[in-house]
Amino acid sequence: MDLLTSFRDNCGFGLLASIKNVPSHKNLEDAVIALERMMHRGAIAADGKSGDGSGLLLSMPDKFMRRVALEKGVELSDMFAVGMVFIDNEAQIETIKEVCEKNDLKVVLTREVPTEVSALGEFALKVIPIIMQIFITPNSLLATKRFESLLYLTRKELEEHFKSSDKFYIPSLSSRVIAYKGLVMPTHIKEFYPDLQERDFEISFCLFHQRFSTNTLPQWKLAQPFRSIAHNGEINSIEANRFNVDVKTESFESDVFTPEELDRLLPVLQKGSSDSASLDNFFEFLIANGVDFFRAARSLIPAPWQNSPHVDSKLRAFYEYTSACYEAWDGPAAVSLTDGRYIGCILDRNGLRPAKYIITSDDKLLISSEYGVLDTPEEEIIERGRLQSGQMIGLDLKFGKILKDEDINNYLKNAHPYDKWLNENMVYLQEHIDTTFMNTSDYEFCDLSKRQRYFNITHEVIEEIIEPIVKDGKEPVGSMGDDTPLACFSDVQRNFTDFFKQKFAQVTNPPIDPYREKVVMSLNTGFGEVKNVIETSVEHAKRLKSVSPILMQEKMEVLLAFGDPSKPRYRKQYKNRTFSTTFESDLENSLEKLVESIIKAVKEDGVRVVFLDDRALNDKYKAMPMVFVVGRVNEALLEAGVRSLVSIVAVTGEIFDAHSSAVLLGYGVNAIYPYMIYATAVKLLENKKLSRYALRYRLKNIQKAINAGILKIMSKMGISTLSSYKNSALFDVIGFSSNIVNKCFKNSHLLLDGLDFCDVEEKIEKYHKKAFLESHPHRLLKVDIGGFYNYVKNGEYHAFEPNVIKDLHSAVSSSKVQNYLKFKERVNSRGLRLVRDFFEIKSDREAISIDKVESKEEIFKRFASAAMSLGSISPETHETIAEAMNKIGASSNSGEGGEDKARYGTNKNSKIKQIASGRFGVTPSYLRSATELQIKIAQGAKPGEGGQLPGHKVTPLIASLRYTVPGVTLISPPPHHDIYSIEDLAQLIFDLKQVNPDAKVTVKLVSTAGVGTIAAGVAKAYADRIIISGNDGGTGAAPLSSIKFAGNPWELGLIEAHNALKANSLRESVSLQTDGGLKTGLDIVKAAMLGAESFGFGTGVLAVMGCKFLRVCHLNKCTVGVATQDEVLREHFVGTVDRLVNYFTFIAEDVREILASLGYENIEDIVGRNDLLKVVDDEFAKKFDFGSILQRLDGKSTCSVESNEPFDKSEFEKSMLKIVYPAIEDPKNKMVIDKEICNLNRSFGARISGEIAKYYGDKGLPDSTITFRLKGVAGQSLGAFLINGLSIYIEGAANDYVGKGMNGGKIVVTPRDQSRKFSCAGNTLLYGATGGKLFITGSVGERFAVRNSGALAIVEGTGDHACEYMTGGTVVILGRTGVNFGAGMTGGLAFIYDREHDFVDRMNQELIEAKRIDTNEADEERYYLKKLLIKHVQETNSLKADWILENFREEVRNFWLVKPKDMMKIPLNPDEGD
Amino acid sequence: MQNFLNYDRSEPQKRNVLKRLKDFNEIYEVFNKSKAQVQADRCVQCGDPYCLNACPLSNFIPQWLKKTSGKDIDFAFKISNDTSPFPEIMGRVCPQDRLCEGDCTLNDGYGAITIGSIETFISEEGFKKGLKPKFSTKLTDKRVAVIGSGPASLSAATFLLRSGINVDMFEKDDRAGGLLTYGIPGFKLEKDVVKRRVDWLVEAGMNLHVNSDVGKDVLLEDLVSKYDAIFLGIGATKWNKARIENEDAKNSYSAMELLKDVQKGIFSDSYEKKIDVKGKNVVVIGGGDTAMDCVRTSIREGALSVTCAYRRDEENMPGSKKEFVNATEEGAEFSFNSSPKRIITDEDGSVTGVEFLQTVMTEPDESGRSSVKIIDGSEFIVQTDILIMALGFSPLNPEFLAKNSVKTDSRGKIEVNEAFQTSNEKIYAGGDCHRGAHLVVTAALEGREAAMAISKKLLR
Repeated sequence: MDLLTSFRDNCGFGLLASIKNVPSHKNLEDAVIALERMMHRGAIAADGKSGDGSGLLLSMPDKFMRRVALEKGVELSDMFAVGMVFIDNEAQIETIKEVCEKNDLKVVLTREVPTEVSALGEFALKVIPIIMQIFITPNSLLATKRFESLLYLTRKELEEHFKSSDKFYIPSLSSRVIAYKGLVMPTHIKEFYPDLQERDFEISFCLFHQRFSTNTLPQWKLAQPFRSIAHNGEINSIEANRFNVDVKTESFESDVFTPEELDRLLPVLQKGSSDSASLDNFFEFLIANGVDFFRAARSLIPAPWQNSPHVDSKLRAFYEYTSACYEAWDGPAAVSLTDGRYIGCILDRNGLRPAKYIITSDDKLLISSEYGVLDTPEEEIIERGRLQSGQMIGLDLKFGKILKDEDINNYLKNAHPYDKWLNENMVYLQEHIDTTFMNTSDYEFCDLSKRQRYFNITHEVIEEIIEPIVKDGKEPVGSMGDDTPLACFSDVQRNFTDFFKQKFAQVTNPPIDPYREKVVMSLNTGFGEVKNVIETSVEHAKRLKSVSPILMQEKMEVLLAFGDPSKPRYRKQYKNRTFSTTFESDLENSLEKLVESIIKAVKEDGVRVVFLDDRALNDKYKAMPMVFVVGRVNEALLEAGVRSLVSIVAVTGEIFDAHSSAVLLGYGVNAIYPYMIYATAVKLLENKKLSRYALRYRLKNIQKAINAGILKIMSKMGISTLSSYKNSALFDVIGFSSNIVNKCFKNSHLLLDGLDFCDVEEKIEKYHKKAFLESHPHRLLKVDIGGFYNYVKNGEYHAFEPNVIKDLHSAVSSSKVQNYLKFKERVNSRGLRLVRDFFEIKSDREAISIDKVESKEEIFKRFASAAMSLGSISPETHETIAEAMNKIGASSNSGEGGEDKARYGTNKNSKIKQIASGRFGVTPSYLRSATELQIKIAQGAKPGEGGQLPGHKVTPLIASLRYTVPGVTLISPPPHHDIYSIEDLAQLIFDLKQVNPDAKVTVKLVSTAGVGTIAAGVAKAYADRIIISGNDGGTGAAPLSSIKFAGNPWELGLIEAHNALKANSLRESVSLQTDGGLKTGLDIVKAAMLGAESFGFGTGVLAVMGCKFLRVCHLNKCTVGVATQDEVLREHFVGTVDRLVNYFTFIAEDVREILASLGYENIEDIVGRNDLLKVVDDEFAKKFDFGSILQRLDGKSTCSVESNEPFDKSEFEKSMLKIVYPAIEDPKNKMVIDKEICNLNRSFGARISGEIAKYYGDKGLPDSTITFRLKGVAGQSLGAFLINGLSIYIEGAANDYVGKGMNGGKIVVTPRDQSRKFSCAGNTLLYGATGGKLFITGSVGERFAVRNSGALAIVEGTGDHACEYMTGGTVVILGRTGVNFGAGMTGGLAFIYDREHDFVDRMNQELIEAKRIDTNEADEERYYLKKLLIKHVQETNSLKADWILENFREEVRNFWLVKPKDMMKIPLNPDEGD
Repeated sequence: MQNFLNYDRSEPQKRNVLKRLKDFNEIYEVFNKSKAQVQADRCVQCGDPYCLNACPLSNFIPQWLKKTSGKDIDFAFKISNDTSPFPEIMGRVCPQDRLCEGDCTLNDGYGAITIGSIETFISEEGFKKGLKPKFSTKLTDKRVAVIGSGPASLSAATFLLRSGINVDMFEKDDRAGGLLTYGIPGFKLEKDVVKRRVDWLVEAGMNLHVNSDVGKDVLLEDLVSKYDAIFLGIGATKWNKARIENEDAKNSYSAMELLKDVQKGIFSDSYEKKIDVKGKNVVVIGGGDTAMDCVRTSIREGALSVTCAYRRDEENMPGSKKEFVNATEEGAEFSFNSSPKRIITDEDGSVTGVEFLQTVMTEPDESGRSSVKIIDGSEFIVQTDILIMALGFSPLNPEFLAKNSVKTDSRGKIEVNEAFQTSNEKIYAGGDCHRGAHLVVTAALEGREAAMAISKKLLR
């Protein structure tokens, strides 16, 4: 796959159907309007007209088709189908006819579909295919019976036949549905396809879709809907799913198709298509083979069940049974699907995409991403609702019946006796163990230290990794960044799993929170064959299961016993054999031989569980890298067509942490037996004289910690179940050869093609010799000391080693240039350590005099300090950096955590204000005080993860900046809860550009293969600048495995982003910045040549401020007072403005000298000039292919626009701003404005709030100075960053993100008719709100009041995860909440009305407790609630609140007061400063 | 760990001055367990361990501090003895304030970790528990002759024996230890401590040949033919002179003459001392640790007064601050900025005084160094009965080197490659004879590295 032109896509989607299956042209018109009204969820190409694709999947317009056929002289029979085909040339029609004929079908007519090309943009026109319709009838009686099946077969054959053709594509070939789609904007689709304007084009249902692709090179065939689905979201586990479909293919048998036909249907998944297309392929395949519509849907996108005790047991049995056949296609998904009879919509398990529906009085069902996409009068709406996480809604067109989630579940769970099947057949390994972790005989080795040396278990690993794991059952935490070389460049012993860098979600999909949203996660793993998944039978229930892939001796023994013919428990389906993975010499061939023997054993001896075991390691035999073995075996078994028969277990000493475990799982093992970590632990505990119980507890900790680590690694990629993660290959491989990768890790990206088997073998030889053959009597310590995490002399290289820091300190404290030169010399002569060290600069010009080079002041403008929050660093450090950066005209970055308002407008104001996932202190004035607003998507030290500021670090200052109370733990969630996809990011960028139209909006990404694709998407979402951070970025605290194993060097990501933007003609509209360990002028020049226009400094700046790289930030023990809030430590702070000015002056002068020597006058001219870089002449360098870094594309290499203007000009609010301006000028001019609003009017209130903040700060205007009384359905982000003095009343509904970042003012949403059960607003309301009030008489969506820290809100029902991460404010919910209420809630209060008395089960009880308020003790709370209810009635006339008030004495008993457990004093009225 | 805010740096207890002046026993007491643990617990466990970085031996200091804090003496002993041939000696004699402790992160305002004292504690505590340094249980047939028995040689012998190589050690004096035995006074390093290490080496199979002066008693060329490799650790024993008038006067001695004479006296009652300072005025010229040793030795020997004269100021003294403080406590007087001009003698050529010139220190130059400037006409005289010159040492460059084609540089230092191999490939050298007078720790390092190189070559 080419990284530069690959893509990811998200979108707006939906469906419209006549419940009674009555076709009409209006249905079509409405669907198109709905689609048009979601234009902002799609993207527009650089030509301003080509969309990324949109389309409609329609029920067959029978009347229309018959007419057009008749006009061509063909009278269609009762049974006919129409195929929509995109072809390269007319000749292809002939082939189509032939294949039809072969399949007993007759082409009765071909029709060129009328099109109006003026509706297309230039890009779309360039690649337009010929669009034809093929009319088909059955050719025989037999064909009649299986018409639809033959159509499917025909299409699959044609696809295979034309697979190398560019444009050939069949949007649909069916008697039931037809697709009209293309690279056209929704507003132009009817114009482009005049057919759609025909009055007799009558349909009864329509799936519609509008695409937002990250690239601008879309193709016609990528437009959705596909043949049976339209998907909004991204399948994170796609590689695993594709692999697993291939595996399942091995055992397909079908009632519908003969084996020969089945063969012709293959491959099930079309190659080279998108994740959604693959999902469509597989879903369609299942349906075509007779799998029940709902079962197929829920098999591929199951609701969470493993860790959801609230789920009905029979339903759980259904899912548990299904999990033996299918893994979740995991990731954010709202999918509408149809097979012609049923139509449905389904939401992913975590509710990460919106899906809203209305049912109208004229029997229509409309589902879409947003409310209000059709101007349906309120009185015609019978029901307005939304799908909750994991829910499905369906429609049976045959009987005109809507099937709600519960109906579907009841149907599914009762279809077969799943619980009985499972009870009788499914065996959990644990069932056969009396006491776990008691037997340790496997963990004793007489040559333990040799093995430890071989597997690189150093003293450091034992002390820093294994000991903490054993002690606390948690992965150890560290701080700062990773400053060591890539494993492939290292000259010390490194683990082979170090070559793999974890993938993580950014922008197009969200990471998830494995701790707070545990309810969706699972590590279940199973053993046994994958049988024919098309069929439902008891066979699939025959599985051995384990709740964790990390085995210990007892489970190992049980597993072995089940596959050992000499044991009474033996079952042939688990027959096992152990294969030693050791070898003497010739790694490559030994591996092949091993693989051959395994395949033979599977095929000939019926082996079903393969143990790959490296325990035979000794002074003669070396162990092959287990990851090679696993990868190769996995691929080879699939190639041999027997993968589905086999389960793989790795018995290996190489695995002793979560990362290495995840690598093996990612390449296909079912379970791991990591004997060396147990052995090391047993040895470690040997002297402690522990009781058996204590020892058991410690060993159990190992499993616990690794499990948690695996969950975290999966969640970084947004994957929630191990079965979806297995085989996902979600790693970048850096520095192995393509030969190795093709053989073992085909589905991963290879960067820096490098070391081949022989090089690896050389390394193994060396390690083996050192471990086993060299005598080490001169060493008393039997293992190596280490040096991978902390610096050790003669150990692994560290870019910030002590001497570098010492030299830097002496340079900046003295301002003497020779001291800088010493520092520079030390850094620049470090050897081939980092990617950039492999390049030298060869200019194409003569040197010039330095006087001709731009001034240092010009260069300063390109410098920024990296985001470091006040909280992670001390106030002194934060302010000194800001002052210094301002002094030289560079920019400082506030980081996530607010900034003291007193600093705004002074020389201590940070020009860059960061918006991160915690949204701490993000207020209108904060946003308005910036010249650059930076959205942090990921952080180099821990991409894909959230963070936590422990309560003890939350000082009164920090608490006030973050709108919380001192001592409250503050959690930053892994994702931005308003960015689950690219169109969500576009929405946030839009929000920010409204509130501060003068600021540039930048988006910070972390380097990874594919970041170019993301960058292109971000540019299309109208960001002004993109930052590519390196993996070496620092952190105040993160798990060591995240610091070390996620994220790539910036060099790789930067050039990829630069080139991808160029390939997509987007480079000119966005500028690039990079950061990651930049130290000297040479670094800057190289970064510029790789595409960066500006440069960020994080660790370097801290070092200048006195940081000594002690890596104790997370312990709050920073001795130099930089990364601490402790007052005693802060007295030792030595940082000054001068030190920083000195440093940047040195660097800028250094850059000037280099520029002069190269003959260039300014940085601008060398940006993107990677042609001036040349790989150094060195034997070692020759091993690697640096081609991707030196790749050059034509076109402009720098940004040439002032700002990347959004397509939506926000005219509506601009006109409103004009109207209310007198009130802003003089708040005495109170105003009330009545207006209609629709879903196209997004972020309403943000622009006006920003304008007010500009003059009045967060104080805003007096209450209700400006009041809007709006009617209709507001667009997304209603009242975003709302400020005091603004009140917005809506009669109707609102969409997602209402009150996002709200700081003051009031939002009131009421439906016209409260007697109907209406959902009144979408997902993620009040995200990061710091104040203000929200009243809604209706229910709202998922994640209500997430990270609220000050708003008061009253609603009448919520979806899942309400009040997640809340740190302040008060919430009243007068109705049912979803599950996982209050996860991560560390502050604030909630009152929950719970008439059914089942709320407590839906609460996440980790941090919060629910109390009754009908006690004397709760007198205060009780009457506070009453006051709030009265207020709610006043604002909304809520019938429900009114009724509760009338019956307050009885109803108060149904209220819970929910508060964090460790909150001692309840701040009852945060609004009033309590 | 990281307990530095709760506990201050605290050094080991010193014995009362009046008591300690009565003998040559060590003045510092070894930490007790709880104190060592508390002090070790202060360690930050830096990501960039500056102590380890500054330590010539690259001792795994943070690692053994952590083990000490965790009361795992066995493990601490193991780690501490892993890189160092004699940690309990280094803990006593190494100038930690200039190396590990000087670079300790906490030295910036919190008080460095008492690394040296903890180092001593770990081994002493280990010895008390019966721990012993481990050597190879099986010796190979390889044999190495180690010439000299000072720190470099002892270090080389230690690591050779650990690798299973036979060692024959040749020492020209009557006791092994070289500088450790005769150069460093007992109040800094008790002689039993040195002997303990030597004994262990002998126990591990080393043949110690005392009173074997190479070049006289044994010939290097014979050794070269008999052994698989030779290690030269012959030190730098030639004392530097001030190059002033009357330097060879009676009662004018080199530091080494004094220290050795006194130590021999302590070892044996029958030994007849050559230098008697009792009741006399003594002037010591020099500002290094050796000068301090002479001063303090003279005081213990009952000198009437002891003055240490040094040409730079207190700030620029090369000796360790700790030793300066100890000497002051013990009654030494200092005359800074005093550059000796000539030695005044009486008619029979005995020293009666020294004429000095006063100096000032110049402003620091670009590199931060100050130099000495003599003030013209500032002559002054200090009366004395005995003069000790402690102006450093140079390699002796004995004849047998050239005879065996071992090259030396213009200053007589033996030239070696990165493997500490001399121009004679069978002969290795390390320590002061290669580097010129330097620290015990560098000698230990070079001995270790040479031993590693030898064993790598021999045991290939």
